[in-house]
Amino acid sequence: MPHADVVVIGAGLSGLTAALRLAESGAVVTLVAKGHASTHWGSGGIDVAAPQGAHTPAQGVGLLGTNADHPYAFLGEDAAPAVGWLMERVAAAGLGYTGSLEIPIRRVPTAIGGTRRVAIVPAAQAAALRPWDRDEVLVVAGPAGYKDFWPAAIADSLARESVWHGADRPAHVLAVAVELPGLRERNNLNALELARRFDDPDRRTDDLDRIARAVHKAVGSRAGRVALPAVIGLDGHADAWADARARLTLEPFEIPLVPPSVPGIRLWRALRERIRAAGGRIQVGESVHRIEVVRRRVVAVEMEAATRVHRIRTDAVVLATGGIAGGGLVATGDGHVVEPLLGLHVDAPVFDAWLLREALDPAGHPIEAAGIRTDHRLHPLDPATGKPAIANVLVAGALLAGQRALRERSGDGIAIASGWRAARELTAETTRTPVGRAPATSRSAS
Amino acid sequence: MTIADLVREASADLDSHVSSSADECLKCNVCNTVCPVLRVTDLFAGPKYEGPQAQRFRMARGQQIQGPSSSAVASPDHSVDYCSGCGWCTTACPAGVKIAEMNNQARARLREGKRPKLRDWGLGQTDLTGSVGVALSPLANFALGNGVVRAVMEATVGVHRKAPLPKFAKSTFASTWKRRGGERGTGKHEVPGPDAAVVYFHGCAANYYEPHVAEAAIEVLRRNGFQTIVPEQVCCGLPLISNGLYDDARGRARTNSDVLADYARRGYRIIGTSTSCTHTFKAEYEEMLDLHDDDTKAVAQATWDICEFLLDLHDQGRLNTDFGELDEDLPYHAPCQLRSHGIGLPALDLFALVPGLRARDMDHDCCGIAGTYGLKREKYAIAMDVGAPLFEKVKATGATAAACDSETCRWQIQSATGVRTRHPVEFLLDAYRAGDRAREHAARA
Repeated sequence: MPHADVVVIGAGLSGLTAALRLAESGAVVTLVAKGHASTHWGSGGIDVAAPQGAHTPAQGVGLLGTNADHPYAFLGEDAAPAVGWLMERVAAAGLGYTGSLEIPIRRVPTAIGGTRRVAIVPAAQAAALRPWDRDEVLVVAGPAGYKDFWPAAIADSLARESVWHGADRPAHVLAVAVELPGLRERNNLNALELARRFDDPDRRTDDLDRIARAVHKAVGSRAGRVALPAVIGLDGHADAWADARARLTLEPFEIPLVPPSVPGIRLWRALRERIRAAGGRIQVGESVHRIEVVRRRVVAVEMEAATRVHRIRTDAVVLATGGIAGGGLVATGDGHVVEPLLGLHVDAPVFDAWLLREALDPAGHPIEAAGIRTDHRLHPLDPATGKPAIANVLVAGALLAGQRALRERSGDGIAIASGWRAARELTAETTRTPVGRAPATSRSAS
Repeated sequence: MTIADLVREASADLDSHVSSSADECLKCNVCNTVCPVLRVTDLFAGPKYEGPQAQRFRMARGQQIQGPSSSAVASPDHSVDYCSGCGWCTTACPAGVKIAEMNNQARARLREGKRPKLRDWGLGQTDLTGSVGVALSPLANFALGNGVVRAVMEATVGVHRKAPLPKFAKSTFASTWKRRGGERGTGKHEVPGPDAAVVYFHGCAANYYEPHVAEAAIEVLRRNGFQTIVPEQVCCGLPLISNGLYDDARGRARTNSDVLADYARRGYRIIGTSTSCTHTFKAEYEEMLDLHDDDTKAVAQATWDICEFLLDLHDQGRLNTDFGELDEDLPYHAPCQLRSHGIGLPALDLFALVPGLRARDMDHDCCGIAGTYGLKREKYAIAMDVGAPLFEKVKATGATAAACDSETCRWQIQSATGVRTRHPVEFLLDAYRAGDRAREHAARA
């Protein structure tokens, strides 16, 4: 029986955005994914567009959109409303974000002592966005013995002017490694375990006071900010962060770490909670292995299961399976790039063009832009006819051709804008031909 | 043959092995983010370290490990013993690494060549303890309810004194069924074809502890036009697998397959009320026990979880939906074993067909018990911590009953919350009976 008006395949930002907007519009939506996606790997920030030459994300979107092959050429207009819409939803789940497409892109420190260019970040990273005053000190503070965040190495690197690429920077950078009870003897400590430690109100009060004393000892009465590893609470992040701000004498901000990304998991949880509250279903761990198509329409999605396939009948699919890293595109050993579920035509360089003359060519590698070409409504195109290859499938996120997401820092914006538009297209369709099934309130969120 | 073909062939070969799926690991840590045990204790180093990373040490001695018995290398340390085997890591892995399966094999290897602990051996032999317990049920139940006995058990055998041990039934389901002249597939009665009869695998839980679950399942099946065949059967072997006793488990597997494969080939479906037993048939005989014979495959293909089966009937328009109103808030917990089936949440879909039944997914990863894990003295506290948020949620609903597909989870939830926890088919039977009453009432009026 399982039936859904729409099956969204993929649990990254594009799939989550599409599923949330569809569920809110009253559609019966099921999101399936083979595992957790980019939210668990990323910084938790929302990178909309920061190509060379752009001062704000909005400018970046415009700049990228001048290239007719770029997704922003047709999606650009949706970037601001879609991102704003998503920030509201996430805030409703208790997770604040700061920034917008209109503010200047600024350089903030990374966990290896570099900088990256951002404009929209979780509230806990927001203090890093503000310009540095003349005499301000940056204190990099973290638990001693934690292998994913080395205050001394980070501070050493951030003290170099070149790391800031001419942007304004703190006058001094100091490092503070704080002994937190019981951590020294731990091997294999990861960010998530630390984050859970900060969920415990008593423990974190003590930990934060220790950090505050060490910071005060290092800085004295000078003005400045404190960079902490992004582990200040998971479920209890809002309270933990309020405590951190109250107990530290300097304004703190979080630096995202290597995976597992605590800020990313907070974002995943917030979106998951909203989707479930809106009546949507999320099934992670179900790997789609076949999409059944009859007369150029998808009729069902099949997942691998123990011994027999698990099948969901559906009226539409949002294909948000990701690029090569996410498994939405597969590069074969002989130089072909394929889309494994529907065999959609992939716009990719021929194998000969894979081998460049220059290693790390600043123009980038042509494979970065590989993906599926769509019309402006996100229907995948058949290159032979120039028309939609399949009627009721929409493509969203990293699977879209023409983006160089890492280079342009555009992946989150494209994911959110395309997920948002896919949902709108499908809502418009179902309004024309109502599917006639109310969402089952009985399984709404707990 | 091109190099690309060779690469493809080699990678297809690798993919089929639990052990070498370690090569697919991206080191992304997603498995660690979902591990319920790592969430509450640092005695366990987490699935990433215990699984794909430790696997490199296990494979380092130039030996391609095909199965648990072919390797001399056990594990870098013993912390893998704290894996509960819930399977969340495998489910969440974006790269397809079979982490839980890898850890299970590693646990078995740790125990290889050693005499099993009496406790692990005993917890594995659910059919033996079950038969003895039922035979002596008044005495056994009294003893298991007695604090002194439990304290002695904890000290000597290592089963925690507070661990949720179920009460033995007065007599086994199988003997009741036989006494009633029920069909055991012996040919005494005319057995309908596979369109009108199914094979029922009761497993140990319904046989020794919860015969009412078996009775409910059989009645629900009858109301859908299916007679039930209950052939001779033994424990599926999962408790043995979890306790690292693979050879004993293979014996159970062969005994079951000998009987069930014949039914499977004749087109009968094998229905189970325990998501653990049915998943063992579907996947673990082949994956964990390395059984690849035709009988094992035939049984796997024919096996259905009862809710999966009923939902499939509904899909074909064949489910009897004469449900009466229940007017009940029902907290539901989806057990880990159900997730490993990859069949969604069929019980919730069925509950949605019952008027007035307001079922709600408690949305918690694991109740903690993980089969026999939470019964063990050194793991009881971990199991309770793992399940604590679930227990709070269930209690907060104020409901008088909860639903869960897997027996050990039911016992854990019921014991931790005091809320009576039942199998989904029991609620469906309630709904059918409510329907009967409503119709009788209407007929009289």
